[in-house]
Amino acid sequence: MPAMAPSAAAGFRQQARRRWVRADFITFLGWLSPVAAVSLWLAYGGASGFGSFAAATTSIGIVAGLISMDLVLLMLLLAARIPFIDNTLGHDRAMKIHKSLGKPALYLLLAHGLFIAIGYGAAEGLDPISESVSLWVNVPDMWLAYISTLLFVAVVVTSLVAVRRRFPYEFWYAVHLLTYAAVATSLPHQFSVGGLFAQGTWQRWYWLALCMATGSALLYNRVLEPIFATFRHQVTVSRVVRISKDVFSIEMTGLHLDELSGSGGRFFFWRFLAPGFWWQPHPFSLSAEPIPATATTPGKLRITVRILGEGTARLARLKPGTKVAIEGPYGMFSTAARSRKHVVMIGAGIGITPLRALLESTPFEPGDATVLLRGHDENELFLGQEIMAIAEARGVTLYHLTGPRSPKSGSWLPHSAQQAGFTLASYAPHIAEADVYVCGPAGWAGKVIDDVKAAGVPTEQLHYERFDW
Amino acid sequence: MRTRAAVATALASVGILIAGWQSGAHVSETGAATSTSLSSTGSSGTTSGGSTSGTGSSGTASGGSSSSGTTSSGTSTATSGSYDGSSVQTRYGTVQVQVTVQGGKITEVKALQLTDAENRSAQISAYAAPVLRSEVLQAQSANVQTVGGATITSDAYLTSLQAALDAAHF
Repeated sequence: MPAMAPSAAAGFRQQARRRWVRADFITFLGWLSPVAAVSLWLAYGGASGFGSFAAATTSIGIVAGLISMDLVLLMLLLAARIPFIDNTLGHDRAMKIHKSLGKPALYLLLAHGLFIAIGYGAAEGLDPISESVSLWVNVPDMWLAYISTLLFVAVVVTSLVAVRRRFPYEFWYAVHLLTYAAVATSLPHQFSVGGLFAQGTWQRWYWLALCMATGSALLYNRVLEPIFATFRHQVTVSRVVRISKDVFSIEMTGLHLDELSGSGGRFFFWRFLAPGFWWQPHPFSLSAEPIPATATTPGKLRITVRILGEGTARLARLKPGTKVAIEGPYGMFSTAARSRKHVVMIGAGIGITPLRALLESTPFEPGDATVLLRGHDENELFLGQEIMAIAEARGVTLYHLTGPRSPKSGSWLPHSAQQAGFTLASYAPHIAEADVYVCGPAGWAGKVIDDVKAAGVPTEQLHYERFDW
Repeated sequence: MRTRAAVATALASVGILIAGWQSGAHVSETGAATSTSLSSTGSSGTTSGGSTSGTGSSGTASGGSSSSGTTSSGTSTATSGSYDGSSVQTRYGTVQVQVTVQGGKITEVKALQLTDAENRSAQISAYAAPVLRSEVLQAQSANVQTVGGATITSDAYLTSLQAALDAAHF
């Protein structure tokens, strides 16, 4: 078991400070990028384009288009799984920001088309619709821009929560891949028609550089790096172990697993290279710290999976020897997120399993860690026995919170505990001075987080990752 | 820290916008100068040998091509002389070129009018026109590539040129 150096607590505070400086830096750059886009446009005489109705409308359209493009590139960067962003914001928060930019980017894109059609039309004495047709027919590359707009609409609409729920994950994923086509078809008209990114201007170089950087980041982090990792670690399924009716662990062997040490609790996208499986990546957290190979035994990795649908049910039938392509590790569910000496972990159902891995690896003194496990009954505290063993070995305060949920109040605690007057403070009195890791179903976790915040835990100390898409 | 980031972002944003705006104001001035010099060359008449036209200021927005060059012979083969192309309207302004044909070759292409609706357009014209001119002289036809970032100006330029070449029976 890892022992904690005396300076570990101070180290955690410093680590958290550095992380927040990085977060500020990313926020700073993120906000500055649309400003830079507008500024460059101004630098090439943009401000003089408001002389007439036609010019002013066109100018508004241009600015809307520039900011929209900038937001799309930001969204791609946030989804590129760049280690610097992942280590700072975490995959979960990066994706949350990614999602929040989707609608603004689309609205600006539509405004861009509309204002340009009105502005150009006014300059030529055409109504916006005739102007749009004329642009489509007469101006090279413009038909691609129209297709791009349609693709963007499709991508954003299928990502709306209400729409997304009606379709399987695979459908959403396939449509989302069209983003690349949408961006690709939008580029030609930007560089050829507008005159905005004209040859020999800084603006052209700025946008070229931005597009190239985004493209490279995506290519490296989402394609090349996973391929390297897959070849380097040679992960292979060794066996599938049933834990309960609908939960099983997949145990795998691999090479060079010492390089993945400390990633217990973090997640990978796993792609099982067998007929019918290979095309679908599954996000699962490690449910144990990776075990490096010894002279006699191979290195080991383990994930624990609950059957939630047809896709996960089929994983239980994976054959030993199946090769696995990996992308990861991702997320902040690790020691890298620690900011305090004390740690509190609260998990429910399958969400207990990443906590099991984290509890094994993250440093703390005996007595400084508290673990709350919630389930309908003891059988639902998956890996509960293993957590018990770690708790005994490392001096962890462990609570099993089992029993039916409260019928009315909507508490995250079991009905019995709530009736008896127990609250979060009963189990973790010093929670305000601890790092709090929460993992479980979204509805339940939401209630826990409300309670944790009410107990005076600042956002910096709260670590939560959603596992729905 | 959140406040610090917000303040830094706000200050930097304002600074960058002012910097962009200021250098944009500077560009506007030079842009205006460029467009002036363009129009002055436009009205200075033809230079290359052969018959002169001196109709550089023909700003008539006629749809068809008007040949103002003195044709030395009435044959249907390419005739030496200067020919004005049609005036092509674009959303950035009017484009009209004049071509000089001598001995069956395009010897000069001159822009009589170029897009100048805004300073930005004048700037684009200022770099696109020389590029197009040299491409045309090399290719000896209006069938050349448009200039990146100046598609509309290029198209208008080449349309006007084609009209002039048609008039010259080139």
